[in-house]
Amino acid sequence: MLDKPILESLIQALGTKAVVSETEDLLVLGYDSTPGLHHLPDVVVYPTSTEQVQAALQIARQHRLPITPRGSGTGLSGGSIPIKGGMVLCLNKMNRILEIDEENLTATCQAGVVTLDLFNAVAEKGLFYPPDPGSQKISTLGGNVMEDAGGLRGLKYGVTRDYVMALKCVLPDGSLISTGGKSVKDVAGYAFKDLLVGSEGTLGIITEITVKLIPPPQDKRTFLAYFDEIRIAGAAVSKIIAAKIIPSTMEIMDKATINCVEDYVKIGLPRQMAALLLIEVDGHPAMVAEEAEGVERILKEVGAAEVHVAKDAEEAASLAAARRTALSALARVSPTTLLEDATVPRSMLAETFTLIERLTEKYRLTVGTFGHAGDGNLHPTVLCDERNEDEMQRAHAFYDELYEQVLAWGGTVSGEHGIGIAKKDYLARQIGPGGVAVMKRIKQAFDPEGILNPGKIFAGDQE
Amino acid sequence: MAGKDKQAKPDKLGNFTAQDAPSYEDVLQCMRCGFCLPTCPTFALTGRERSSPRGRVALARAVAEGKLDFTEAVKEEAFFCLDCRACTTACPSGVRAGEVMEVCRSQSHQQQPLGHIGKSFRHFILQRMLPDPDLLEKSLLSARLYQRLGIQWLVRHSKVMKLGPAWMEKAEGMLPDLEAPLRPQLPELTPARGEKRGKVGFFLGCIMTLMYPEVSRQTVRVLSHQGFDVVTPKATKCCGAPHLNEGDRQTARALAQHNLNLFLAADVDYIVTDCAGCGASLKEYEELLADEADHAKLVSFRSKIRDISEFLSEVGLRTAELKPVKRSVTYHEPCHLCHAQGISRQPRELLRQIPGIELREMKEASWCCGSAATWGLKFSEESQQVLERKLNNVKQTGADILITANPGCQLQLAWGVREAGLPQEVQHLMELLGAATPD
Repeated sequence: MLDKPILESLIQALGTKAVVSETEDLLVLGYDSTPGLHHLPDVVVYPTSTEQVQAALQIARQHRLPITPRGSGTGLSGGSIPIKGGMVLCLNKMNRILEIDEENLTATCQAGVVTLDLFNAVAEKGLFYPPDPGSQKISTLGGNVMEDAGGLRGLKYGVTRDYVMALKCVLPDGSLISTGGKSVKDVAGYAFKDLLVGSEGTLGIITEITVKLIPPPQDKRTFLAYFDEIRIAGAAVSKIIAAKIIPSTMEIMDKATINCVEDYVKIGLPRQMAALLLIEVDGHPAMVAEEAEGVERILKEVGAAEVHVAKDAEEAASLAAARRTALSALARVSPTTLLEDATVPRSMLAETFTLIERLTEKYRLTVGTFGHAGDGNLHPTVLCDERNEDEMQRAHAFYDELYEQVLAWGGTVSGEHGIGIAKKDYLARQIGPGGVAVMKRIKQAFDPEGILNPGKIFAGDQE
Repeated sequence: MAGKDKQAKPDKLGNFTAQDAPSYEDVLQCMRCGFCLPTCPTFALTGRERSSPRGRVALARAVAEGKLDFTEAVKEEAFFCLDCRACTTACPSGVRAGEVMEVCRSQSHQQQPLGHIGKSFRHFILQRMLPDPDLLEKSLLSARLYQRLGIQWLVRHSKVMKLGPAWMEKAEGMLPDLEAPLRPQLPELTPARGEKRGKVGFFLGCIMTLMYPEVSRQTVRVLSHQGFDVVTPKATKCCGAPHLNEGDRQTARALAQHNLNLFLAADVDYIVTDCAGCGASLKEYEELLADEADHAKLVSFRSKIRDISEFLSEVGLRTAELKPVKRSVTYHEPCHLCHAQGISRQPRELLRQIPGIELREMKEASWCCGSAATWGLKFSEESQQVLERKLNNVKQTGADILITANPGCQLQLAWGVREAGLPQEVQHLMELLGAATPD
């Protein structure tokens, strides 16, 4: 429980309604979507402006309260879990879109704006904000920037980082920095903006974000291809890329995932198939026609069991929506769903599927795999029960061995979910002690007292 | 399963009592993805995690794990939940937060009992009045008298019911002009007209007979015109929805048992209702009575239950004789139809089949109207905000008629439209179908 004077100064700075410290509130603000992680904060504040964020940070610093920022709590690596207690800074009420600049093709919004709300607002003006993480209906822009979220369109359009043009950021001492701007080119000094993207709230608190917008594609074509073997699906992906076709989306679901998703959406997905690929090509109509032909040809060449074309935009949207439910739908099967974010060079995709199959058998687990096949970014998900200790140990051994090989192939331990709490050890393996040491020095420069989101990305010196 | 009754199980789960508690699996199933957040009216109102489905399930889990007592705040959240079930529709993992909260309402009566007056009032309404159709109607000897008595009741017990500040004006304003109750007027058997297609039992709900007799009269007339013998058992009792809603699962079980036996004995092909709330509740008997009634009987009963729109769409509407109704309509989906029963397509299909009708979709058609049984009276301010969001969407359609399919929604929407000075008439789908059905 927090000392009364701290609580009172917070209330004075932010208002009664914006400061929450009842047990029942604290209990539900110490988790995100990462399984098994939960920690109670001592207090939660809901600022509505940059100035209030500054005030909250100053009070926290005075009293040496750890600060953990939070958006909608949909993260998958524990980034917004207050493992050292202290203050959770909940930004979901800073949800105003401040400007859509149609001359410069940018949008500026507060950190708590929901991703899909921004997408819809710019779409009304005939513009396009491509990053679309699976949780776009819920996740906030601030959270997307902090974790550098990806999405289904990452293959062609890139991830959140590729769209961030400017950030307003409050540092732990309460001071404010602005970095970047609306100029498309900017090489003035260190690229703080790029350092802040993906920093998981360890360097500063982002309060305002300016993103780049692009014109939407004029046309698109959506395919659903079924496969008798998952390896063939992997081969199809590699061949499409090798044929110099970059679809906007190339998503994979294995049999377990197909069945769980179908249980929920009931749109007639093929329950007996080993895998399916959801492929979308978009752009100028002439290019779409050419690429669609190429995709169809390759799918037939590699031996896809069936290839279907979505009959209209509505059907295409329902397929993408179905894919977005994959992780949550897998949770139907078992009490606990442990998901990973392994990413490999795309040429290694078929081998990765083979490896996952082998390890699944070796460790006697149930695994559902889905993900952004076109990016080489897979989410092998162990369906287990956290009450079964032996099973949990086998699940961790599964991931250990998987990551060892992924790193040997030049892959990464996180394609888009971030390191957070869950993957600190894996990161250390990937970048080595030298890499960790540099990261710590950067952290030190921004946050000398170590009060911003402590315990994330890498182990602290005391640990 | 949340609805399953755990009375037979001796050991209790964490800080829940043994009877009518959620199961651990129900709360463990939530993987906290948050897909429910944007669909929850109370989260939209407050932005407060504990007032969201994910937060409520997390609270229940904390109670189940012994990390939290069944506190006043847990009780508050159980009753602040609208039970609209939008989160159930949105949840890919199959978590049923609304049902978990419904069970928690029962817990709150066990763990935080009301004072003496509150108890006897609750007892009077839930255990004496509602289960007894005769008594309900007697209090309605004169419709106007009831209108005054009803208000007096509420006045006398406003504190006990924890009604919101503006409840009285609203309750008075919401009551439609009352006619005589329908139940005594309807014959036990209304014969089919034209080529006979089967025999249905009609489950006439309490609110329908008391407040919307004309709607259900049309339902029976349409069914008969569509070629069905309609059996309306006079001994039908309340479906038990108000009891589940208030956390009185004992009385709900007794009522369910009665209705189950009554309708199975009537030997009908289907059991049809025009009240979405009743339909949802009837479809849950299987779980409610799982430990008490014969499994085969439950399965047989469940297989016969249909909402009227579900039924007509399934058997196919005979449209040859329908008269044109040249009006534009928009459709508000009752939560207990679209979320609790998964019925969205069928009412729209029927609307499109009525000659002359133009259906204009409103935005957020499946967003709650803010009525939600007594919620609209308990939280009148919040209810008003939920209602305004709905009315804005209605307004944008410019339709002549606002159609819905549940008496609770109809009360709230008719009142809201009147208060806001909107031009729309509010009708039950069956009134419209009745208008298209020749005499």
